[in-house]
Amino acid sequence: MRPILTAALVAAALPAGAAELRFASTTDPNTLDPNAGNSAPVFSLLGNVYEGLVRRGRDMSIEPALATSWEPIGDGEGWRFNLREGVTFHGGQSFDADDVIFSYERASSEQSDTSSWFAPVSEVIKVDDYTVDIMTSAPNPIFPDSIANWMMMDAGWAAENGAERPNIEQGNYATTNTNGTGPYMITERQPGLRTVLEAYDGWWGEDRGNVERAIFQPVQNSATAVAALLSGELDLIEPVPVQDANRVESAEGVDVLRGIEARVIMLGFPHDAEGLIAGGEGNPFTDPRVRQAVAQAINVPAILQTVMRGSAEPVAQLMGAGMRGYTQGLERPAYDQEAARALLAEAGYPDGFRFSLKCPNDRYLNDEAVCTAINAMLAQVGLEPVLETMPVANYWPTLRADDHDMYLLGWSPGTFDAEHPIRFLLATPDEEARLGSWNFGGYSNPRIDELLPMIQSEIDDTARQAMLDEVAQIQLDDVAYVPLYVQPLIWGVKEGIEVVQRPDNFLVLRWIEMG
Amino acid sequence: MPDLTDSSRAPGATPAPQPSRWKVAWDSDIAYSFRRSPVAVIAAFVTLLLVLAAIFAPLVATTNPFDPSSLNLMNGFSRPGVPNEFTGETFFLGTDDQGRDVYSTILYGLRISLFVGVMAVMFAMVLGVTLGLIAGYVGGWIDSLIMRVADVQLTFPSILVALLIFGIARGIIPIEHRDQMAIWVLIVAIGLSDWVQFARVVRGATLVEKNKEYVQAARLIGRKPGAIMMRHILPNVLSPVLVIATISLALAIIAEATLSFLGVGAPPTQPSLGTLIRIGQDFLFSGEWWILFFPACTLLALALSVNLLGDWLRDALNPRLR
Amino acid sequence: MLAYIIRRVFQSIVVLLVVGLVAFAMFRFVGDPIEQLLGQERTVQDVERLREALGLNDPFPVQYFDFLVRAVQGDFGISYRQSRPVAEIILERAPATLELALVSGLLALVVGIALGVFTAIRRDGWAANAIMSASLIGVSLPTFLIGILLIYVFGVQLRWLPTFGRGDVVDLGWWTTGFLTPSGLKSLILPSITLGLFQMTLIMRLVRSEMLEVLRQDYIRFARARGLSAKSVNFRHALKNTMVPVITVTGLQLGAIIAFAIITETVFQWPGVGLLFINAVQFVDIPVMAAYLMLISVMFVLINLIVDILYVWVDPRLRIDGRH
Repeated sequence: MRPILTAALVAAALPAGAAELRFASTTDPNTLDPNAGNSAPVFSLLGNVYEGLVRRGRDMSIEPALATSWEPIGDGEGWRFNLREGVTFHGGQSFDADDVIFSYERASSEQSDTSSWFAPVSEVIKVDDYTVDIMTSAPNPIFPDSIANWMMMDAGWAAENGAERPNIEQGNYATTNTNGTGPYMITERQPGLRTVLEAYDGWWGEDRGNVERAIFQPVQNSATAVAALLSGELDLIEPVPVQDANRVESAEGVDVLRGIEARVIMLGFPHDAEGLIAGGEGNPFTDPRVRQAVAQAINVPAILQTVMRGSAEPVAQLMGAGMRGYTQGLERPAYDQEAARALLAEAGYPDGFRFSLKCPNDRYLNDEAVCTAINAMLAQVGLEPVLETMPVANYWPTLRADDHDMYLLGWSPGTFDAEHPIRFLLATPDEEARLGSWNFGGYSNPRIDELLPMIQSEIDDTARQAMLDEVAQIQLDDVAYVPLYVQPLIWGVKEGIEVVQRPDNFLVLRWIEMG
Repeated sequence: MPDLTDSSRAPGATPAPQPSRWKVAWDSDIAYSFRRSPVAVIAAFVTLLLVLAAIFAPLVATTNPFDPSSLNLMNGFSRPGVPNEFTGETFFLGTDDQGRDVYSTILYGLRISLFVGVMAVMFAMVLGVTLGLIAGYVGGWIDSLIMRVADVQLTFPSILVALLIFGIARGIIPIEHRDQMAIWVLIVAIGLSDWVQFARVVRGATLVEKNKEYVQAARLIGRKPGAIMMRHILPNVLSPVLVIATISLALAIIAEATLSFLGVGAPPTQPSLGTLIRIGQDFLFSGEWWILFFPACTLLALALSVNLLGDWLRDALNPRLR
Repeated sequence: MLAYIIRRVFQSIVVLLVVGLVAFAMFRFVGDPIEQLLGQERTVQDVERLREALGLNDPFPVQYFDFLVRAVQGDFGISYRQSRPVAEIILERAPATLELALVSGLLALVVGIALGVFTAIRRDGWAANAIMSASLIGVSLPTFLIGILLIYVFGVQLRWLPTFGRGDVVDLGWWTTGFLTPSGLKSLILPSITLGLFQMTLIMRLVRSEMLEVLRQDYIRFARARGLSAKSVNFRHALKNTMVPVITVTGLQLGAIIAFAIITETVFQWPGVGLLFINAVQFVDIPVMAAYLMLISVMFVLINLIVDILYVWVDPRLRIDGRH
C-alpha cells in the first residue's frame, strides 16, 4: 500500500524571493481563539493573523490598524473610531462596524478571558458601517492603549461555525481555526507540535517582509532549542538562556538579539499577615525599616553580573523604562550590608529572624538561581530565610493561599502603562472593584488608593504623570516591593535575518526580512 | 542459630539440609570471590572512598557551600585553578553560578545523594521485603491484594508520586521543618517507586521456600508464621534482596538526579549531586563545563562502582555460576 | 485454570478502578488548573465561573465518578490546555511514542542479545569483561544527561543528527510514521539509543547469565562431546534455550519503556504521550493526566496478567498454590 504523502513532506515550492522561517519558543499558545487566552504566547502568534482597531508599532507606540483614526467624544464620554474600508478577512468576508460590535460582545462576554479590558466600557454604538463609538463610564485617556490586543473577528464566520462566544473549557471551532484580517493565515495547526502560517495575499497593509511561510514549533527545553539553532534546524528561537547568549553570539552563522522585556522582577512582602508562616512572634515586615534593610541587602548589580550575565537592567519601580508613564530619575536603594544590618538592629532585630522565601523554578529567566543568590545575600546581613522553590503550577496556588512570607514576582504591564501595575499590585485588594488581584502581600496605602481612580481618568498628560511619579515615589520610600531588574529579551537568529524585537516579546512576522 | 538450614539459593533446586556453619562457608566463599575479582576490589575501594568523603565532608571540604552567609556571588563561574576576575580567589575545581566551590559542593552534595539513596533503598527494602514475605507466605486474598497494589504502584511515574508527596507534605508539615522536607519527600518518592521489585522477588522466593521440608517441619512443631517468616524464610531470600538493594542504590541516586531535572529535587540551597548536574547542564553550551563535568564524574564513579559491586555480588551469590 | 483467569481479570479491573481513584485524589496536589488557564487580568468572577464549568468544585469522588462514566464510553473529556478531546490528542501522539519504544526495544534486544552471547562465550576474556563493565556506564548516568550529551556531540558538535523532534512524518490517516522519510529515520537514532540503553544493559546481562547457565547443562556438554561445532552448540542449542526468559523480560520492559519515555521525550522534544504528560503536569491538565495514567495502567495490568497466566500455565507448582 502506498502511503499518502502530506503537505508536510512535499513542501510546495515557494515563489522567488519568498522565504520560509522556522521558529521556536518555549510555550505553545494554548488556543487560537483571541478571547479564550490572555497570554503573551497567544497574542504573539495571533497578532500575525488577527488585527485590532489599533496596533503597536516598532517602538510600541499605538498606530492605526483596522481603524484609520480615532478621537475622544465630548468631554471624555468615550472614543470614536473610524474604520478602514476595503478590508477582507482570510475567508473573503468584508470587515465593517457590525464585526466591531460582534467582536466587542464576544471579547467582553463572561466566557471571555479578555473581558477585564472592557470594564470601563458602558456601550458600543454603530454610527454607520465604518464608524463606531465606544462609550466609557468615566473619562479614559488610555483606552486606545488598552485594546491593542483586542482582535477583530467576523460575525458571520463565527455564527456559521458555532463560535459566537469563546469556550475556554470545551473549545470550539475558533480554538483551532482562525479567520482574521492580518498578513498571515494559519494553514496547519497541530496543538503542542506545529503551527504553519502562510502569507495572506489580500492583506490591506504595505509594510511587510519576505516571509511567505512560517513554521512554529514549541521547544520547551531551551538547551534543546539552542542546539537546534546552532545546528541549523531552526532560524529563530526565543528565548536563548542568558548563559548561552555569548556562545550563540560567537558561533558561526547565528546572531543574538538583545532587548529589554516589559517584565519587572521583584520581591514581595507579607504586609497584612498577622505573623510569619516560618514561626516566631509577630510580623517584622510591617516595619518599613525591615523592608528597607531587605532592599539594601540585595546586591542587584552582582546578580545581574553573574546570574544574568550582564543581560538585564536594574530598576527602581514596578515598570521598565520605555513604558508609558515611566518615572524618571528614581534610584534603587544602594547595596549596603552595613546599612541593612543597622536598619535591622534599629527595628529591633539585631539577630535577624526566620521567614520563608518562595520562588517559582520554571516561570522567569533563571528564577531559581536568582532566588538562591538572594537567599545568600539575606543570610549575610543576619536574616534567616528559608528558600522554597516550586513549579509554577504549585506556585500561584501557594501564594493565593497566603502560604508565603517573602516571594518573587514578575510583572509585565498588559497595557504598557504605569497604571497597570498600580491597579494589580499596589491597590488594596478588593474583589468587587477588581483591584489588587495580584497584590498577594495585601499592601495597602490610602494615598495610592486615592490616586488610582484619578490617574485612570486624567486626560492631561502632565497632571497624570505627576500622579504616577507620586505613586512611584511612595512605592520606593515605603518599600512596598523590592523591584530588582527588568528581564532581558534574548533571541537567537540565523545570520542574515532581520527581525524587530519589541519589549512585549511578540514576534511580528511581517517585519522579518530573510537574506 | 542451629535450626537454620542451608539451601541452594536456586529456586526449584532440591534442598539439601546441611549442618550449620553455613555462615562461615558463605563468608569465605564471598571473600575468595572478592579477592579473585580486581574489578570488585577497585569498585569497593572507590565506593568506600566516596562514602568516607561524604561522611567527613565538613573536614575535607575547603568551604561550607550549604552556609548561605559564606557565599560570595561575585565568585561565580570561576574557572578551575584560575583566579576569579573580580575577587581574585582561586578554586581548583572552579565555582558554580552561585559562587560555590565546586569541590566542596560535590562533597556536600554527595552526602545528600548518598543519604537519599541509602534511605530510599532501606525504605523500599523494608516495605518490599515485608509485603513480599506476607504475600508469599500467607497467600490467598492478602497475596492478591498486595500484588495488585504493586501493579498500581508501577503505574504511577515517580515524578507524579514525588509531586503528590510534595503537595501533601507542604500541607501537613509546619514550615519550621520544611528546609529538610524536600529530602524526605525525595526519599519516600523514590522508595515508593522501588519497593515493588523487592516484593516480587521475595514473594517468588517465599513461594518456593515455604513448601520445603524444613519450613513444613517448623510449621509442624508449631512455630508461629511470623517466626517462620523471619527466622527461616527471610535468611534464605536475603541474597537476591542484597543484589537488588545494591543495584537499587545506584538507581536511586540516579533517580534523585532525574527528579531534580524535572524540577522536584533537592532544594537549590542544599544541592545534591543530581541538583548540581541539573544546574550544570544549563552551562554545557556556554563553556562552563566544570560545573557539570566534575559532579557528573563523581556521580558516574559512585553509580558505576555500586553497580559493579552489585554485579559481582550477583555472580558471587549465585552458586550456579561458580 | 479458567477460574484463575477470571479471578485475575476481575482483580485487574479493581486495580484500574483504584488507579483512577488514587489519581483523582492526588490531582489537587499537583496544582490549580485555573491559574494556568486564565491570564493575569482575570477577575474573581472568571475564576469562579470556570471552576464551576470544569466541575472543579465537586468533591473528587464525584469528579472521579463522572470521569469513569464517560471513560467507559470512550470519552476521556476535554483537555484543559488544548480545549480538544483527550482521546483525539492521545491518538495523535501515540504513534510517536510507540515507534520510539519499538525501535528502542528492538535495538536493546538485538544489541543486548549479541553482546550477551559474546560475553557468555568469552566469559573470562578481556573484551567480554570490558564490555560488561562499560555497559554499566550507560546505567550509571541519568537518562537526561545521556540525552543531552548525545545531542551535544552528535547534534551540535558533529552536526550529524537532528537535535529535536521527529523530522518529517508521513500521515497514513490513522497513524503517522517517521519510518518512511530520511529525516524521520535520522531523528529516531539519538532518542532510541537514549531510551534503549537501560534495557540493552539489562538484556545483555540476562542473556549472559542464562547462556552461562545453559552452557554448563549436561546436554550441551554432551553435544560438545559428540563433536558438534562450537558455533552450532552456542547458537542452535544454547541461545535457543535462553530465549524464553529473555522474551518474558523484554515484554515486561516494553511497558517500562513506554511508561518511562517521559524523560527522553522531554529532552528530545519528541512529540509523544510522555511529553504530553509532562506538559499536562506543568499545566495541571487533569483530563490528560487521568487518561494517560489509565492507559499506562491498562498496559501494565495487561502485561502482568499475560505474564502471570503464562507462568501458571508453565509452572504447575504455582497452579497448585493458586488453589490453596
